[in-house]
Amino acid sequence: MMSRKLKANMLSIALSLLTTIILTSILLLAIGKNPLMVYSMLISEVFGTGYGLGQAIFKATPLIICGCGLALCFQASLFNIGAEGQLNAGAFAMSIAAYTFDDYLGFGVLPFAIICGFIVSALWGLIPAFLKIKRGISEVITTIMMNFIALALVNYFLIDFIAVKSTVRTEKILDSVFIPKLSDFFGSFQGSSANLTFVFAILLAVFLYYMLYKTRFGYEIRAVGLNPTASKYLGIKTNKIIMWSFLLGAGITSLVGINFIFGYKGYYEFGFSNNLGFTSIAVTLLAKNNPIGIIFTAFLFGVLDYGGLAVNTIVPKEIMLVFQALVILSILAIDKIVKIYYLKED
Amino acid sequence: MDSENNVIVEYREVTKKFGNFTANDSISLKIYGNTIHSVIGENGAGKSTLMKILFGIYSQDGGELIVKGKPVKFKSPLEAISDNIGMLHQHFELIEDFTIFENVILGSEITNTGVIETKDTRKRIIDLIDKYKLGLDIDNKISEVSISEKQKVEILKLLFRNSEILIFDEPTSVLSPVEVDEFFKIIRMFKAEGKTIILITHKLNEIKELADRVSVLRKGKLVYEVNSNELDLEVLSREIIGPMEVTHLTDERAGTDYDSELLLSFDSVSVKKDNVLKLNGISFHVSSGEVYGICGVEGNGQSEIVDTIIGALKISAGSLKLNTGDVSLVPDDRIGKGMIKEFNIGENVLLREKNVTHFTKKNIKETSEKVISEYDVRLSDSLSPLASLSGGNQQKVIFGRETGLDNKMMVLVHPTRGVDINSSAFIYKIIIEQRNKNKGILLISSDLEEILKLSDRIGVIFKGRISQEYPKSDFTFSNDEDKHNFMVKVGKAMIGIE
Ligand SMILES: Nc1ncnc2c1ncn2[C@@H]1O[C@H](COP(=O)(O)OP(=O)(O)OP(=O)(O)O)[C@@H](O)[C@H]1O
Ligand SMILES: [Mg+2]
Repeated sequence: MMSRKLKANMLSIALSLLTTIILTSILLLAIGKNPLMVYSMLISEVFGTGYGLGQAIFKATPLIICGCGLALCFQASLFNIGAEGQLNAGAFAMSIAAYTFDDYLGFGVLPFAIICGFIVSALWGLIPAFLKIKRGISEVITTIMMNFIALALVNYFLIDFIAVKSTVRTEKILDSVFIPKLSDFFGSFQGSSANLTFVFAILLAVFLYYMLYKTRFGYEIRAVGLNPTASKYLGIKTNKIIMWSFLLGAGITSLVGINFIFGYKGYYEFGFSNNLGFTSIAVTLLAKNNPIGIIFTAFLFGVLDYGGLAVNTIVPKEIMLVFQALVILSILAIDKIVKIYYLKED
Repeated sequence: MDSENNVIVEYREVTKKFGNFTANDSISLKIYGNTIHSVIGENGAGKSTLMKILFGIYSQDGGELIVKGKPVKFKSPLEAISDNIGMLHQHFELIEDFTIFENVILGSEITNTGVIETKDTRKRIIDLIDKYKLGLDIDNKISEVSISEKQKVEILKLLFRNSEILIFDEPTSVLSPVEVDEFFKIIRMFKAEGKTIILITHKLNEIKELADRVSVLRKGKLVYEVNSNELDLEVLSREIIGPMEVTHLTDERAGTDYDSELLLSFDSVSVKKDNVLKLNGISFHVSSGEVYGICGVEGNGQSEIVDTIIGALKISAGSLKLNTGDVSLVPDDRIGKGMIKEFNIGENVLLREKNVTHFTKKNIKETSEKVISEYDVRLSDSLSPLASLSGGNQQKVIFGRETGLDNKMMVLVHPTRGVDINSSAFIYKIIIEQRNKNKGILLISSDLEEILKLSDRIGVIFKGRISQEYPKSDFTFSNDEDKHNFMVKVGKAMIGIE
């Protein structure tokens, strides 16, 4: 049996999507477009071709990964706004490790580079965790600030020391250490950049779900997130939990680098993340910090992202950004309404 | 008073369900104006739910509610408040960082072109404080005041909103004997002014002292009603528990023939919190096989003793010895400190069992059901979040959880707060059993009867230190008068007279 809470969550997600579709339609009508035509084009472009679907998957992959990292923090009530900085620092380190050692390690460079990226990103997350634990400073402020520092530092080292001449990217890794594309297995994805990182992202989400909802560590994280005072009285080492959630959460965000570096371009490039760290916040909140839910919300955003490009011929692609923003606004509003009228909570 | 036109609130076959569970089952009840009407019943009987319907927190699924002759169906407390109904909840709802003044006006601010009008409002509140002798300073922050003062702030809120029908949900469970007397005086003043009071309580003596009429709920049904002139406490307690077996307190104590070891000792310990000295060179110890009872008025250092034991507060002078592993703890504030209210029973229990690393569905369910059956927890669904349990049932879960941990040392703060008579007796029985298993128990309570019943030694806490300590021989009474005299003596020590 589905729990009442789960039903309520599904209900509010469905209602918000509906609301968003209606509101976007009104907007489309206002600029003189036929919403039905736009939606049907979007759907046929994304779901009608293997390429379109592959591109949506490719766009969804980093959102799933980064969303998982954020979910870990959010479940502990740590509002980590610093993913953008964390993942850039991590992916930058990952690419350096990758192109430096790919000759020596062969395919073993993949785990090695992942670990390097993870550590750098995790350490970057450890600073706000430490400031929160020792000094009680809100992580919201510190993580926002740490974004600027991370991006500036990465930029500095990249441009001044590391970048390939007259570009803003690192050296490319050997072709032999790229991870396979989905089209290598399913021909219909031909041409799209979707790669095995997607499968990894799904496994990560499942693993994280298991950890959060089935293990002591996960229960302690959620307990601290729900009531830190009671957690202390229940014998949970709250500071330790805050530290680990931040460290692992930030570390996980760096794994988006796998998709871009090993699955797509072969190098780190400045600006590759394109506000991924912020879009993921929306993806995560929309899924109510549930890793399994994140798979779906990330996919929705992936569809809108690629779909925006696909319908660009008839409407500006910004329409899809509006759609994404409306989804978030309506879930916030509708969630409250569902809570009051369906769950009868006050 | 029984004249029909004096009925101020009437429930007509009111039913309230949570899912498939019926919390109030076709209840018909009349409350007469300008009376003190008491509602009593076991934990989970549906008392709070019934009152929350009157206060607009829930709306009934069936039946009618009639207030002052008009059928009503309040959609929110705001509507109830505007009908001059006020409710003091089982669990306080104050904002810790706000001052008393801010808390009182919150939600009913009087504004002047958008700006909160303070001058006249302050005066009005201060007048109310004087009139009812509440003794509050309206510029104090809630976080700085004691529990009984918090309760007075809640009462002040009701008065500020001109409530005429006042609902009190277990108001005295957080008060020490002296404070209870003060509270009764306030209630009597309300009645003298023509207000109507609905009083939920588990304490029969309070009913005897105050109530004009009593209604008994059992498993969601109204089973008995009586006026004060026909009140017989024996009959009343039978009606409360129904055909169930009464738990009797066996005061049988095993002889202390095992070696008793020192488990906990405070040696001239001083502790500061926010730079205020809260424990002031306190000394006492607890050994295995004994119950050491600390009684006192709330706010004299009790919660700081607990915080020091769990390591949340640092000692500034003296020394603390804890010669045992983990400590079982029933804290003073069950919702704020004792549980994660979003989790269910099993999850809350497993959270405390440190050797459990995986929370499987099966394990959670079995753990829940074990506590439910052992402690006779009444709830709608064995896997519902603790937040939906009635106050007394939450308390039983916490007590059961901590006892089940089988730690050598237990710290119990108000272990039976909000628990009905029969379950209280059961909890007392378990406490004595634990003691006889050579556990060391530190019992902190403002309920002197409870302390006397259970303790092997008693310490009175006043201003951060143990001001008096009594061995068992001092409170083994041969007659009621001795007991009364002793209680008066301790009562005085609790407020620092003598
Ligand atoms: N929001 C809710 N959701 C589900 N069940 C609920 C909810 N609120 C109350 N109940 C159930 O309804 C029953 C009655 O609860 P209520 O709080 O009215 O009891 P009570 O008589 O006040 O008990 P106590 O003396 O312990 O305070 C309980 O079994 C409780 O589990
Ligand atoms: Mg209640």
